[in-house]
Amino acid sequence: MTSTTDLLAAGPPPAASKARGRVRGRHPYRSALSTARARTGLVLVGAVVLAGLLAPLLAGHGPTDQSGQSLAALGTPGHPLGTDDLGRDLLSRVLYGIRADLGIIAIAVPLGAVLGCLFALVAAAHPVADTVVQRVFDLLLAFPGLILALAVTAILGPGRVPVVLVIALAEIPAFGRLLRGGILVQREREYVTAARVGGSSGRRVLVRHILPNAADPLIVQIAVSLTVAVFIEGAMSFLGVGVRPPEPTLGAVLSQSMPYLAQAPNFAAGPLVTVTALVLGLSLIAEALNREIRR
Amino acid sequence: MTELYPFTPSGPSRRSTLRAAGGGTLLLGLGLAGCRSAVSEASSEPQGASAAPKRGGVLNIAVNSDFTPALLFSQSGQSLQHRLIYNTLTRYDDRLSPKPELARSWTYAKDGRSITLRLRDDVTFHSGRRFTADDVIFAVKNLQNPVRAAQLRATAATVTGFEKRGDHELVLKLTHPVNNLFDLFEFMIIADSETVEDAVTGKKLIGTGPFRLTKWSPGSGLSLTRNDAYWQAGRPYLDGVELRVIPQADALISSLRSGQSQLSFNVPGKSLGVVKSDPHLTISDYDTGGGAVYLGVNTTVAPLNDRTVRQALAWAVDRDRLLAQTLGGYGLASAAPWPKSSPAFTEAHRTHYSHDPAKARELLKSAGHSKLELPLLHLALPGDTAIAESLQYDLKQVGVHVTLQPTDLATGQKKLISQDMPALWTMGHGFAQVQPSTLAVSAYPFNEAKNTSKYRSAAYTKVVREAWTKPESGTAEANAQHEKISSILLDEAFLIDLVVRGQVQVAADGLHGVTLNKFSYLNLDNAYLV
Repeated sequence: MTSTTDLLAAGPPPAASKARGRVRGRHPYRSALSTARARTGLVLVGAVVLAGLLAPLLAGHGPTDQSGQSLAALGTPGHPLGTDDLGRDLLSRVLYGIRADLGIIAIAVPLGAVLGCLFALVAAAHPVADTVVQRVFDLLLAFPGLILALAVTAILGPGRVPVVLVIALAEIPAFGRLLRGGILVQREREYVTAARVGGSSGRRVLVRHILPNAADPLIVQIAVSLTVAVFIEGAMSFLGVGVRPPEPTLGAVLSQSMPYLAQAPNFAAGPLVTVTALVLGLSLIAEALNREIRR
Repeated sequence: MTELYPFTPSGPSRRSTLRAAGGGTLLLGLGLAGCRSAVSEASSEPQGASAAPKRGGVLNIAVNSDFTPALLFSQSGQSLQHRLIYNTLTRYDDRLSPKPELARSWTYAKDGRSITLRLRDDVTFHSGRRFTADDVIFAVKNLQNPVRAAQLRATAATVTGFEKRGDHELVLKLTHPVNNLFDLFEFMIIADSETVEDAVTGKKLIGTGPFRLTKWSPGSGLSLTRNDAYWQAGRPYLDGVELRVIPQADALISSLRSGQSQLSFNVPGKSLGVVKSDPHLTISDYDTGGGAVYLGVNTTVAPLNDRTVRQALAWAVDRDRLLAQTLGGYGLASAAPWPKSSPAFTEAHRTHYSHDPAKARELLKSAGHSKLELPLLHLALPGDTAIAESLQYDLKQVGVHVTLQPTDLATGQKKLISQDMPALWTMGHGFAQVQPSTLAVSAYPFNEAKNTSKYRSAAYTKVVREAWTKPESGTAEANAQHEKISSILLDEAFLIDLVVRGQVQVAADGLHGVTLNKFSYLNLDNAYLV
């Protein structure tokens, strides 16, 4: 699996990489996404996303509708995946859980990315600001994800907003440090010097010349962060500090299934398979993109 | 599946029982035989295992929370060790008839304003000091101290005079008669007065009980070893007891299934299905009613200040489904707080509110509401969350939309005691398993003078005070008082009872002779491992 550390070690993409893509007439990411690895990832992620989007059509019951039929087995008429302890349809809860998870990570990861990039730009502007921003990143990185989650929910209480906030906070240093590193490398390049000599303002050089070349690793980081976000949401819900019940999330359904692993393994199967597919798919995509960038 | 609550509440009047006991006819051995035992123990006892008790062995008990020394003198979530290290003056049998323990016998004054206790003279503390009447005086005064936060402080406070007649006879003088004095004697552990401040910090726990404290490792548990100088000859059979803290339910169950632990009272109802399938473990029910599940209502929050709305909520809940789906079927769906062994129990009260969403909607409509939005606080534990979700769904069906507010145990208890609850909350309560008046003068949610629902009523106070100060129980008059209390609780619905739950014991099939008292103090005097 691709890690943030790998990406940082890889550094910014060489200018030649993009040139190579253009010479071939294909964008490098398009080439990366055409590999078997990436295609597998896209199929997995696409299937999960599609299932989530079509939840109202595919689910035969409301995700919070309870009945007297507890812990129904796999293949029970009307409940293909069975039911949970409160008689709720597991297929509906998994499908709506996907929607809830996607909704959270679709907000949280871009939010973390934008905030991280803003911090990086501020850091690039002045040495003093750089020192301050670096210490802020150190502070955020000092907290393990779950400790950060518990601290945030201790202040705000459990719910959707704290989950989004925890994911965003966890992602800020990853994006910030990646972009800052890219900017530091790119601004020493000759084409930047040429632009400055040509009369471009510092802001224009940063926005028009440096950023496009420093931003490539961020695309890979987004894929990695989406994977991490699924884990964070799942872990928070598993610990009971995630989205408030009875709203289903994949982590929450998995957590509720734990006392019944021996009695009703189908309870855990749905969310487990879905989380695995989502994380595996995102990891494969991230890996394919990373390989392309490192070439 | 074990049988639930097979005992009938009928029994001799307490006065007649006291006289019989006062005559000194009850020998200790008989008292032990009358000690509270698992309701289903007879049925869960393995065939062929009724061999003579065997000396030796260390019993490992899995608990889900650690001992809290600061709560040594109040009922808390984990009180198993109380009767292992300490003794009480008396203990109840299954019909709330007191049996001798450190008090050999007793005589009530005719006016109910004093009781003479004759104490055992062969008892010593673990420190070697002899047990005397002074220790009983200290124990009562200790519970009168507000710092100890004892739920039965109101009863202890009625004892205002002490008259010693030698070292082992004592007269307790009361400001007024109370009918729950033996609840106090069942509840009140006799601790060594010289080390009590060390006891509430966990440094030294010195009592007269069958086991001595060897070590308390905060967060890990307690190690106890046999008290060789125990006043009951030949007891205990066990060499020692280990209480091991295993917070995670799955790990706790694994510990039982692997044989690392032989006893636990903390297997969640939802997980009992797994235990049932294990041939080496037996499940037994105790009719202690120590953990009734209820829906609390803050009567100062509109529109819950309207009794009709509160009654609508009581009709909206499907108690049978709640019991089956969240508690594994262990308990008794009931609209009233009383277990079947309580003198106040009646089938009519138990079924006073059934699941009737149409009636609930009708009541809400008559009160001028078709849709309500209310918060509901619950403990953020898996079992409690499932109960809250079940309630949320039932209430939604009648137009009451509930937002769940999960909270941690410490915060929840603080809010309960400080009357800082939101509109609705769900938790568990005890104290219905003893004299009915104790519930209404001692339990935080029901206390007539200051309850969590902030319900105030002169009629409730009057009825509770009358019931509390009548020394007789089991009489027609006492039953009439219980009826009045139940009627107020049901009609006013400031606290909506859902399921009356006892303690569920999971034990290895080689363990025998385990009992609990009414406050869930574990008694291992006669326990042995085969």
